[in-house]
Amino acid sequence: MDPYYLYIDRDSIFHRLDPRTKMLLLLITFVLVFISLNPIYLLAILLLVLLAGYVAGVLINLRRIRFVLFMITLVTIVLWSLFQQGTTPLFWIVERESVVYAVSVAIRIDTMVIAGLIFLSITRNEDIAMALVRIGIPYRFAFVVSTALRLVPTIASTTTTITQAQRSRGLDLDTGGPIQRIKNYIPLLIPVFISTIRSTNIFSMALESKGFGAMPSRTYYLQLKMVGRDFVVIFTALGLLVFIILVRILGYL
Amino acid sequence: MEGNVFIFGKSTRDSRVGELARYVGLVFQDFEAQLFSTNVALEVAFGPENFCVPPDEIGLRIRESLAKVGLQGFEERRPATLSGGQKQRLAIASVLAIQPRVLCMDEPTTDLDPIGKEGVFKIARSLEQEEDVTLIVIEHETEEALNADRIVLMRDGQVVADYPAKEMLRKVDLMEECGVMPLQVPQFFSVMGVPEMELPLTPEEGVQEFRRRGYRVDEGAYTKLVEEEKSRMESNHEVIIEVRNLSHMYPGGVLALEDVNLNVHKGEFLAILGQNGSGKTTLVKHFNGLLYPTSGSVRVNGEETRKLGIRTLGQHIGYVFQNPDHQIFSDKVYDEVAFGLRLRHTPESEIKQRVADALKAVDLEGYEDADPFSLTKGERQRVAVASILAGNPEVLILDEPTTGLDYSQQRSMMELVKRLNKSGSTIIVVTHSMWLVAEYADRVVVMKDGRVYLSGTVREVFSREEELRDAALKPPQIVSMSNLLGYTVRSVEELVHVTKENI
Repeated sequence: MDPYYLYIDRDSIFHRLDPRTKMLLLLITFVLVFISLNPIYLLAILLLVLLAGYVAGVLINLRRIRFVLFMITLVTIVLWSLFQQGTTPLFWIVERESVVYAVSVAIRIDTMVIAGLIFLSITRNEDIAMALVRIGIPYRFAFVVSTALRLVPTIASTTTTITQAQRSRGLDLDTGGPIQRIKNYIPLLIPVFISTIRSTNIFSMALESKGFGAMPSRTYYLQLKMVGRDFVVIFTALGLLVFIILVRILGYL
Repeated sequence: MEGNVFIFGKSTRDSRVGELARYVGLVFQDFEAQLFSTNVALEVAFGPENFCVPPDEIGLRIRESLAKVGLQGFEERRPATLSGGQKQRLAIASVLAIQPRVLCMDEPTTDLDPIGKEGVFKIARSLEQEEDVTLIVIEHETEEALNADRIVLMRDGQVVADYPAKEMLRKVDLMEECGVMPLQVPQFFSVMGVPEMELPLTPEEGVQEFRRRGYRVDEGAYTKLVEEEKSRMESNHEVIIEVRNLSHMYPGGVLALEDVNLNVHKGEFLAILGQNGSGKTTLVKHFNGLLYPTSGSVRVNGEETRKLGIRTLGQHIGYVFQNPDHQIFSDKVYDEVAFGLRLRHTPESEIKQRVADALKAVDLEGYEDADPFSLTKGERQRVAVASILAGNPEVLILDEPTTGLDYSQQRSMMELVKRLNKSGSTIIVVTHSMWLVAEYADRVVVMKDGRVYLSGTVREVFSREEELRDAALKPPQIVSMSNLLGYTVRSVEELVHVTKENI
């Protein structure tokens, strides 16, 4: 229906975890990829993340960001290969060490992006907001975060409509020199901006008319509860983290 | 700015909007913008949460509210996957869950197809009867107002009249004066000179009154109407767009169109009808190359659209999108209208002439330097039409051209389209506004589930009420009434024209 919506409603072991557990897993993944730049180690973490995504049944979402992933990989590898200093010449001004370094950095960034995507694919907006509230963040702020996440698909689909409307009028985005090409986007940006503001107005009225902020506190229909499997997952993940830090300290990584 | 509004004896000056929400629930016209949750249950839960209702009771209220609007079993569905009518019903449920004493709906059905409209008003009726809820509905469509107890008529910020609904609906002239479309059945009898007190309101009552007064349809005049229509249709025989076995599948596997066959003739006024999601917009997007067939073919002037491409097609087929705000970006009307011409490197002197012509055609002469964003919605819609007209397309596609406009704006928009059609443009209108089709189109295609369900002259198609109903459509009042009489007329004027009074 709308191609920009990330959450995939499945009933996997990962979906059933408490959103706080999911957030912690995401955080641990981020820490893990910063522990070392060993390409084999990073590849192992990436595979672990992909395995989790596979079990959760949400890897299909990777197709939507394949272009982003491809660009990140390409740009990172090219740039770091050129600029990172190494000792063993490979070809032209590129050294062997710099290529290894570049590939590692690319895997690190891709892993973080993929982990973030999987997190959004298995966690509903409301659960993210709820988790934030439970870890002590004010509801209003948590609501802003979940609204921002919600706005992305809305804006993206408005942009699609606007692009079609302007193309029907003869707009071709891919003509002219670099300056002209940037100018080509003006007929898209202004309507996107205006429409978003207009719909945000209605959105805020709808919020108020449902009593948003009417009382100093509020109740929550979603009740988060950590259960056995959450603790098992958290302890396993923390155990892995501690183990890897130890290996690192002992100098094996 | 001045004066006071009291809600249950409490001045609104002393309360915040959020607090008032407990007593007065608001439902807006734009159902897309007022839904924001991941699933239906959470959408309904949001209101009660804000008023500190305990979670167990929220669960209860979700069940209750969804039952009231007929959305039981949809708890886990994502709002975006619902139909327009279901979305609006969900918006109502999400407000009902707060248990307001007054429910205020601002044009809740403007963007809905006729059956979606009926669904919303059925809920309104049952709420009013079964619950102790006061309903205030802001509307400019009168057929819906039949269900009300009382109607307040407003003009230029002032209350013009305030009567019981049935009395108000008989005040045909007053409503027309205020720019509101009068109910067609009483309008007909009013034109026939029936005194206000005796005007019937529904098609059924209309037929009784028709017979009671000894009116009859003049066969000769009626046959002449049908003949004239036929000869007009036959004069448009040159095929401009040819659709053969067209199927379209969206990425992700949704089959939006299936085996569609259709010819669009030069010079005709074609309406494409269908409920939300029936594939009508997908179909017309094939005509100007925004979409290409997954299988089958679409030809414009004998050439495959895929071969022509959107740039070339754009010069023959103009497409006015539903929402003018999705295309307007200039700070001057002139620049907005000139946009397409400049992209095609038309000389500035010619642009000047064409912009002037286009603005004249849409009655916006002298608006060249105006800022489009400061215009009314109706005027912005005209700017959008002018910006397409300036390119002199042979075919003009208008997607829901009257959505969000009031009755007099709708009328003048359609009169404009009619003029364009008379001066030679082929017109394709995508809509679910039935009276508009009845009064303006030559031919109509009804889409249902991605297929052509009915097709023919407006008269032929609108005589088949049962089948229209299956496609979630309902002919206008006057058409229904004439169908009950065994004829099909398209407007009040037509029925007046063919009616004979027996002395």
